Amino acid sequence: MSKGNEGALVTPRKRWLSLDTWAVLLAFALAALVRAGVFKHVPW
Amino acid sequence: MADAVLLAQVQPARPVAQFVKLIPGVLLLAGVGYAGKLLEQNVWKYAKDHHWTFPNIEYVLWAILIGLAISNTVGIPQIFRAGVATYEFWLKAGIVLLGARFLLGDVLKLGGPTLALVLIEIVGAIAFMTLLGRVFGLKPKLATLLAVGSAVCGVSAIIATKGAIEADDEDSSFAIAAILALGALALFTFPLIGHSLHLSDHAYGVWSGLAVDNTAEAAAAGALYSDAAGKLAVLTKTTRNALIGFVVLAYAIYWASKGQAQAVGNKAAFLWQKFPKFVLGFLLISLLATLAVFNKEQIGALANLSRWAFLLTFAGVGLRTNFRQLAKQGLRPFAVGAIGEVLIAVFTLGLVYGAQRIFHW
Repeated sequence: MSKGNEGALVTPRKRWLSLDTWAVLLAFALAALVRAGVFKHVPW
Repeated sequence: MADAVLLAQVQPARPVAQFVKLIPGVLLLAGVGYAGKLLEQNVWKYAKDHHWTFPNIEYVLWAILIGLAISNTVGIPQIFRAGVATYEFWLKAGIVLLGARFLLGDVLKLGGPTLALVLIEIVGAIAFMTLLGRVFGLKPKLATLLAVGSAVCGVSAIIATKGAIEADDEDSSFAIAAILALGALALFTFPLIGHSLHLSDHAYGVWSGLAVDNTAEAAAAGALYSDAAGKLAVLTKTTRNALIGFVVLAYAIYWASKGQAQAVGNKAAFLWQKFPKFVLGFLLISLLATLAVFNKEQIGALANLSRWAFLLTFAGVGLRTNFRQLAKQGLRPFAVGAIGEVLIAVFTLGLVYGAQRIFHW
């Protein structure tokens, strides 16, 4: 964001985590479920 | 197309409401992708049963074609747009999961030559695009956006650079449109060229990862050739993505030195902010697979989860490509992009041919 916007009355909400980070978290959550045996077989 | 990019940047008002808004579009991605998979399985079988000559078209191409047909005829109703814009999220999750199919030793072994090719490609692409931008009289910042988009990683690189060099919205729309239109074209031309030149899966995969700019299209162009080529295309493209921060930082410093962008304060923080985190996720999953944290069946399950994530991505590639919107963006940036991309494709093909001989791919 440019400095010109910093003085604006309404400050846009910052994304808590980036899209990349969410994608990594989802992938690791799925990997953990596979490792724990929750998903034993994923068909294709 | 640009709508999809803008939608992806919308800040969530309320997380639950925002999440619910994504559901229709994600279901559309899944429906289109699964329809592609069913068509792959059934059309060829039907043609064979009826003794017709019909090529075995991969689910990747079916999913893209169905998406293109919907986007360019009835269009994408508003209710689906937020969810369709998540295709990049599925791509990144799919790339991280794909890490389980690479042992870290393989990544390092493949990564060395690939990194060298990527560095040469980045320098060549920036030089071609900058020169073409001057010849065609494009605005310098638009030429910068096209150079970064074609050198590193398509739309993400353009968006990252736009903020860093304070380029106009119009310029970034032009650059994104050109990169996406040419990426769509590559999906149909690259596999044909690869087959006509009898490229190995390895050589073709590296070529797609080097020459196709947007990650989704690079993965799709690779997967259209073969599963092995798809893996290599993703690895090569991920190596390019990993360098995004350095290229954006160099341009940010250049434009700041001309007084046309803000100076970069903490360069390390800037690099970390621009670094694509999914690359770290890919390497970490690869490390876990190398340490035998997953057994063979579990690696198979992770590979299939990765395929499902890519299925949603490929459907999204078709659904977010609207040729009428792309055509509205003007001819000159597209001409510069097209000439530059052809030059880069030929240049990288030469690099891959050379590497094929040296490394016996």
